[in-house]
Order: sequence, then structure tokens, then C-alpha cells
Amino acid sequence: MTKIFAITQKELSGYFRSPMAYIVLLVTMSIFHVFFFIIIDHNQEATLRDVFAVMEFLFVFIVPLLTMKVFAEEKATGTMEFLMTTPTTNTAIVLGKFFGSLIFMTTIIGVIFVYYAIIEFYGSPDRLATFSGILGLWLEGALFVAIGLMASSWTRNQMVAAICTYLILFMLYFSVTLEKFLSGTLGALVSYSGVWSHTKNFSAGLITLSDVTYFVTGIVLSLLITRYCIENRLWR
Amino acid sequence: MIKAHELTKYFGRQKVLDQVSFEIGKGEIVGFLGSNGAGKTTLMRILTSFLPASSGDVSINGFDVAKKSLAVRQIVGYLPENPPLYLSMTVKDYLKFAAKLKDVAAKQCSAQVEKVMSECRLKDVEHKVIATLSKGYKQRVGIAQAIINDPSLLILDEPTSGLDPVQNLQVRNLIKNLESERTVILSTHILSEIEQVAKRVMIIKEGKVLVDERLSDLLTKSSAQKRMVLRVKGEKKCVETVLEKINDVCLLNTVSSSQEHHFDLELADEKLIHELLSCLVNEPVQILEMSPAVSRLEHTFVSMVNENND
Ligand SMILES: Nc1ncnc2c1ncn2[C@@H]1O[C@H](COP(=O)(O)OP(=O)(O)OP(=O)(O)O)[C@@H](O)[C@H]1O
Ligand SMILES: [Mg+2]
Repeated sequence: MTKIFAITQKELSGYFRSPMAYIVLLVTMSIFHVFFFIIIDHNQEATLRDVFAVMEFLFVFIVPLLTMKVFAEEKATGTMEFLMTTPTTNTAIVLGKFFGSLIFMTTIIGVIFVYYAIIEFYGSPDRLATFSGILGLWLEGALFVAIGLMASSWTRNQMVAAICTYLILFMLYFSVTLEKFLSGTLGALVSYSGVWSHTKNFSAGLITLSDVTYFVTGIVLSLLITRYCIENRLWR
Repeated sequence: MIKAHELTKYFGRQKVLDQVSFEIGKGEIVGFLGSNGAGKTTLMRILTSFLPASSGDVSINGFDVAKKSLAVRQIVGYLPENPPLYLSMTVKDYLKFAAKLKDVAAKQCSAQVEKVMSECRLKDVEHKVIATLSKGYKQRVGIAQAIINDPSLLILDEPTSGLDPVQNLQVRNLIKNLESERTVILSTHILSEIEQVAKRVMIIKEGKVLVDERLSDLLTKSSAQKRMVLRVKGEKKCVETVLEKINDVCLLNTVSSSQEHHFDLELADEKLIHELLSCLVNEPVQILEMSPAVSRLEHTFVSMVNENND
């Protein structure tokens, strides 16, 4: 347990020491800021629903950048050899790293609260919808991070990890566009496996067990695969 | 303490280790020697459970490395070939992190970090970011990390590479001082280092253990000690006649300058040294030097590694 915490701490401070994290943070915030005012101006409505949509879209592009180095860098620099020869279980390594990235992603989401405050100040937003929207966003981010970790455990090359993550996220996110062309079970399957059908409910203020299950299952599955990959040194 | 049985390792089709078996007892200091690519690093990685063997098994303190790897990792301190450092961390933070992962009790953590920092002379860089350290300092941080939890088995892959002579001596002394309580396995390309530190030598060639012997036995057996260098001042002729007189002394090479003469000799027996010297003192020459030709271990190593190459 203390080891998970130690690794999380190390990951987090690693983020704050790398320029990449600041670039991502800055770019996200500025894009988000611009969209926020465009959307609010356009909708003339005190809701963050469309803002969440922007954020979800942004995650497809920024999460790969955040998670690509998690395992790939350790493998390239040889610190993986250190990590894996200390008496630390693979589960602890994966969880420690997952929490590190998760916390960093959460700080990005935390930015939303500033904008929420603005809306709260000028109008009366639907609080439940806002908070369930943030929860949905957070779950989606967590799933993306878990997938990023998984891709990073496959290779020692950060670029490869980022591209793999990006491809998977892209499929999850944009599979909604295929729905039109598919019908029957296949269509239902594609629709279920995409994130869109699940975050949609959250941003409408609807928290359902099935949506939460979808994200939690996805996270656990990705992390299990990650552990399997580092356990069996599949990157060699 | 360590029992390895018929370890074999393949990388793809390449056989890197071939049926390696050995036992190492508690408190032994063993040196791995071998040319580049012989498989030393691979063997160490298997011992530390970083890589699984393709077949065969190893146990350390009775724990199977593959099945009980966590128990093995508790007692092993490992310095990989390239010191495994988080470049953006400071030396102290890194060592603290290592201590936490290696189950050093929270209370002793800082004390232990201080101790290894002073042992490896890292006090003056403790707040520096590792990326800015020189190679030798990085190596020292790597060593510090390996000994931070007082492991009962230390596995060091080329521990002294990149160190200055003073630090080199220090590391050797560190290893020697551990002696009675700990088992140490180290690999190096600097043979004099092995001669000074290790009690037992394993020469590995193309994945096979060629030699596994006590250092002293290896040196007595080797022919190298019968190669001598003789350096004299005076008449060259006198020496040559002496050499001709004594049987079983073979003159391999002579190098002369205006002042001195340099003879490379091969003696059939060590006892001949005495005879040779007693003859020479009666001649009108001045003996400047009489010594073994090369480092004996070096000679043994080179001859063994080259032996089957033809
Ligand atoms: N991950 C790997 N994948 C494929 N081949 C490898 C891998 N690691 C090592 N090898 C091969 O295994 C052989 C032994 O390598 P190893 O690193 O064990 O040698 P070594 O004795 O440590 O050499 P050196 O003295 O240069 O450190 C080499 O031929 C190397 O190319
Ligand atoms: Mg090596």
C-alpha cells in the first residue's frame, strides 16, 4: 500500500517536472476557455453540457500524450529493471502508476470547477446535471488513462505508445459515427462499446448502473492487461 | 545460497545461456568474467528475476526465482549494467524512493539514505538532479540504490565502470568489507579488480561456464606465471650465455636499448627463477627487474577465451 503511494507520488512529481505536462495543461485550458465562451455565448443557457462534450473530445488527443511515457520511458531508460527487481508486486506498480496519471487528469478536470463557479455566479445551472456530467467526464478520462497505460506497457517507444492509445481512443470515441450504417446486434454492440452512448446520459444528469459498469469494467480490464504485459515482459 | 540448475536462455533463436549450473555459498564473492556478449548480464537478470529462463531453474535461499520472485527480490540488491536512474529526480529523493520500494522501515528510511550516501560519497550532490550528474556519480547512485536495504545478496553488473581510481578503490573496499555477512556476485572487464576482490572466478564464454574455480587455484594452474620479464643493465652477451646454460628456459623475445636489455622468458618451472637469479648475480650485469610478464589472470583469461576459437 505504501508502495502504491510512493509510486503515485513519484509519477505525479514526474508529471510536474516534465514540460509535456505543462504544455498539455496550458493547451487544454486555452482551448477549453475559448470553447467555453463560444458555447455559453451561443447557447445563452447556463449549462455545461456542451462544454463537457468539448472536454471529452479533447481527452482523445491529450490522454495519449500524458500516458505515453508511463511505462515506455521506464523501459527505454532501464529503470524498469530497477522497478521490477525491487520487492514490489506488479499490481502495485500498475496501480501506483494509474493513480498518478489519474490524479493529474483530475487536476485538468478540476479546471471545470472554475467555469462552474462563473456559471453559478451569473445563472442558476442544473447542479445535478453538472456534477453527473463531471463524474461522467472523469470516468471517461479514467478509462482513457487506463487504456493509455496499457498501450504504454506494450512498447519501449513513446511515440508508438501514443499512437496506439490514440487509435483505440479514436475508435471508442468516434464509433458513434458508424452507428448510422450498422443495424441489429452489431449496431447495438458498436453503440455499447463506444463511450459516447454512456457519457451522453451523464451529461444529461442521468447516472445509471450500466454506464458506470461500462467504465469500471473497461478500466479494470485495461489494467489487468497492463499487468499481464509487464509481468510477461511482452515488450521485448 | 544460490543453486542454479541447467539454466538455458534463448533470445529468439539465439542461445545466450547454455545449461549453466553452479552453486554459490553464503559469504562468497564471485566474479563473472567473459567477453562482450558472453551472457553475463543475461545470467544476472535471470538471477534477479528480471528475465525468466527458457529452461532450468535457480533458487536463492531456497526460494525459486521464478515462482517466489517476491521473496527473492527482498534479499537481492541489484545494480544493472546501466544504472537505473530517474533522471528528473534528485539523488536524495531517488534513494528515498528506492528505500520505500525495498521495504526499508519508514523510521530507518532517512538514516539508511544518509548511510548509503556517505558510503558512496554522495553527500555533496544529494540535492542535485540526477540528469546533471557526471557518469561516475550516476554509477555511485546506482550502487547506493543497490545496497540501500542491506541485501544479503548483492549482484553488481560492472559496478566500477566509469569510476575514478579513488572511487574505484572505495567500491572495492566496500565490497570487501561486506564480505563475511554477504554474498556478492560481480561482473567486470577489469581483471585486476577481480583479482583483488573475488575469491572465486567464473569465466563465461558463449553462454557456457568455461571455468569455475577459486582464484588461487586458477592462478597456480595457469601457465602464465612461468612467463617472466627480465630487465638488466650491462652486457647482453653475459645474460644470453647464462640463459643458454640453463635448460628449460626459453628466450622468447629481446628488446635492447643503449642502456638496458629487456628479455621475455618462459620458464618450465617456477623453481628455475631461483637458479636463474643465482647465476645472474655472478655476472657483470645489474638486474633491474624480474617480474611476471602480464597480470596472471589476464593471461589465463585471454588464453581460455581464445582456446577453442580456431
Ligand atoms: N533483450 C534482448 N534481446 C535479444 N538479444 C539479447 C537481449 N539481451 C541480450 N541479448 C543478446 O544476448 C547475448 C548476451 O548478452 P549479455 O548482455 O548477457 O552479454 P554480456 O556478457 O553482459 O556482455 P557485456 O560484456 O558486453 O556486457 C548478446 O549476444 C546479446 O546480443
Ligand atoms: Mg553485460
